[in-house]
Amino acid sequence: MRKILLFFSVFSICNAWSQIDYSKLIIGRNMGTHTFHDGEQTRIFGFTETLSAATKIPGPTIYLNSGDSVKLDFWNMSQGAPHTIHLHGLDVNQQNDGVGMFSFEVMHNEHGFYYFKAPHPGTYLYHCHVGSTIHLQAGMYGLIVVRPADGNPLLNWENGESYDREFPLLASEIDTVWHNDTILDHEHDMTMPLYVPATFNPNYFLVNGKSGTQLSAIPNHLLALPNEKIYMRLANIGYYGVRFIFPAILEARTVASDGRPLPAEVVHDTIEVLPGERYETFLQLGTENSYPFIVEHFNLNTQVVSSSQTMVIETTFSGVETNEKVAFEIFPNPTNGIFEISEMVTENYQIYSLEGKKLKESMESPVSISDFANGSYLLHYKGNTVFIVKD
Amino acid sequence: MKTLVLLVFSAFFCAYSYSANVSVRLAVKNGVLEFNDGSSASCKIFTSSPAFAKNSDLLIFNSGDIITLKVVNTTAENHGFTIDGVLNLGVISPNDSIQQTFTSPPSGVYRFFDPLNFPYNEYLGLSGVMHIKEINDVTPYFYWDLREHQLSWNTSILLGNSPVLNSYEPFYFTINGNSEPDINLDTIARVVGNVGSEVRVIIVNNGLSIHSMHFHGYHAFLLKNSKNIAHEGREKDTFPVYPKEYVLLSFVPDKPGEYPVHDHNLVAVTGGGIYHAGMFTTLLIAP
Repeated sequence: MRKILLFFSVFSICNAWSQIDYSKLIIGRNMGTHTFHDGEQTRIFGFTETLSAATKIPGPTIYLNSGDSVKLDFWNMSQGAPHTIHLHGLDVNQQNDGVGMFSFEVMHNEHGFYYFKAPHPGTYLYHCHVGSTIHLQAGMYGLIVVRPADGNPLLNWENGESYDREFPLLASEIDTVWHNDTILDHEHDMTMPLYVPATFNPNYFLVNGKSGTQLSAIPNHLLALPNEKIYMRLANIGYYGVRFIFPAILEARTVASDGRPLPAEVVHDTIEVLPGERYETFLQLGTENSYPFIVEHFNLNTQVVSSSQTMVIETTFSGVETNEKVAFEIFPNPTNGIFEISEMVTENYQIYSLEGKKLKESMESPVSISDFANGSYLLHYKGNTVFIVKD
Repeated sequence: MKTLVLLVFSAFFCAYSYSANVSVRLAVKNGVLEFNDGSSASCKIFTSSPAFAKNSDLLIFNSGDIITLKVVNTTAENHGFTIDGVLNLGVISPNDSIQQTFTSPPSGVYRFFDPLNFPYNEYLGLSGVMHIKEINDVTPYFYWDLREHQLSWNTSILLGNSPVLNSYEPFYFTINGNSEPDINLDTIARVVGNVGSEVRVIIVNNGLSIHSMHFHGYHAFLLKNSKNIAHEGREKDTFPVYPKEYVLLSFVPDKPGEYPVHDHNLVAVTGGGIYHAGMFTTLLIAP
């Protein structure tokens, strides 16, 4: 009966959304392992894009273009409780909001489909909304970045302000007691109470799933070119408050929050991000140097700072290519017009001029820019951008 | 019930009068706040009700009203009554009362509270919200008085102790004294609206924790923010309400449906360790 209802719901929605501009598969998992900076490990829930991918915290960042009709295919392969995807801040309708009691839950080995228009460009979140106090803490969350309608990855919104590079930072924390099997493998019956642990005392404080030396050590610095203008997407999906404290020399300037421009930009070195909030902040980098900044997590009841960790933005001419943000390579580069992407192309890539004009969008592989003039271009794929030189 | 009477009284005068002479008698009362799991906590409130209520009264007046306020202390301890920026009745001894007549301040939101034994008397429940409305303001308002409760704190404070904030670890989270699902039974709290019609919500944090309120379905404009003026004018789906702060927000629903609103510190959507028996309500929007 449940499947019939689900089918009917999907059928109705598909009719209403005759044109889908972008389709994305997200898989729910519940047997991942997370390794902390001190070598300790804990079981996690999470989201992946493929069955073979390791479950990580946070889940994959979803990149959308404003105005696109989006179909999100959520496949629950967790073998445990049902899950959903709540599209946090995207203001979707009730049916697609991902709150089980008001729409649908997705059981193991079932698909659930979410249909919506990508909203105003900005930073959003997605997370499971089933037993969410437990499931979210377990790791079922990620970022959604909405680009301008043309997909420009270096502009915050139409007629907005451009930047040279962006760094999405998603803060959270983990109380490993909450990750015991007895808690994660809870019974699920919406008519029965679901108990959560009596106290929440996180012992690891995360940014993009990393903690301690995973944040501060040299191989993990955020790499950029000297004098670049950086766009920080600062988000918090944990249960603590978070402060990002930047050095004054970086001239932090916050221009948007929760996917909307602020009525007036705020020039302030400390950006406080409460659970569920997002802020977008420009930083102006200087010459070749290291720019450490602080990430504080504080208890919302006592307001005591429980963790203060250092992250570093490093400007260098030599190391940017090794930035882990770039998850793929292209070859050959320079190219005579035909080149390959180092991983299987499963969704559209975009090619831009250095001025930010979109020149091509396709899934074809190998990639052809034979009809382009010789020069430098930007290829944007799955949230990462690399330079291409055609000669 | 008495609060509802006040609301109706106020609405009557909104429609048919420019201002009025209004008398309010609030008693400082001891009582017990019961939670859905059977637990309870000894509390105190300012109430016009003969019985103990879950929360201090919501006071609603029109701009220009002449208000005669009498506060009676029915407890065995000294208490006070202050309306932030408006008046301070001073110390009210046990079984004593103080009365004052004043002209309502400019339209807006005001917190009232017992300034004695700060912040513990407030924490126990001796704090609330006064809303001064413009006479011609017919916008529907809803009111959320946010609080958290750590039962051992209530016991300790009533024994004369002063627990340190560093030990604060609340286990129950309420709006107007209710947890989910009872919040939606409270017509003052539960937002019911229509597509295309403005809704306003006044959120006051009378607790000690910071709350990060998240709206499903809609962004809201923060029209007023008592402690963080820079937040005013922002369009947000999640926003902080700091202790002793109020936020006045407005939104015009663009689609029908039932949409949750909750603290996104997801520990605060639990109550007594039960998900989601805490600070969780829904917006019900008709086409």
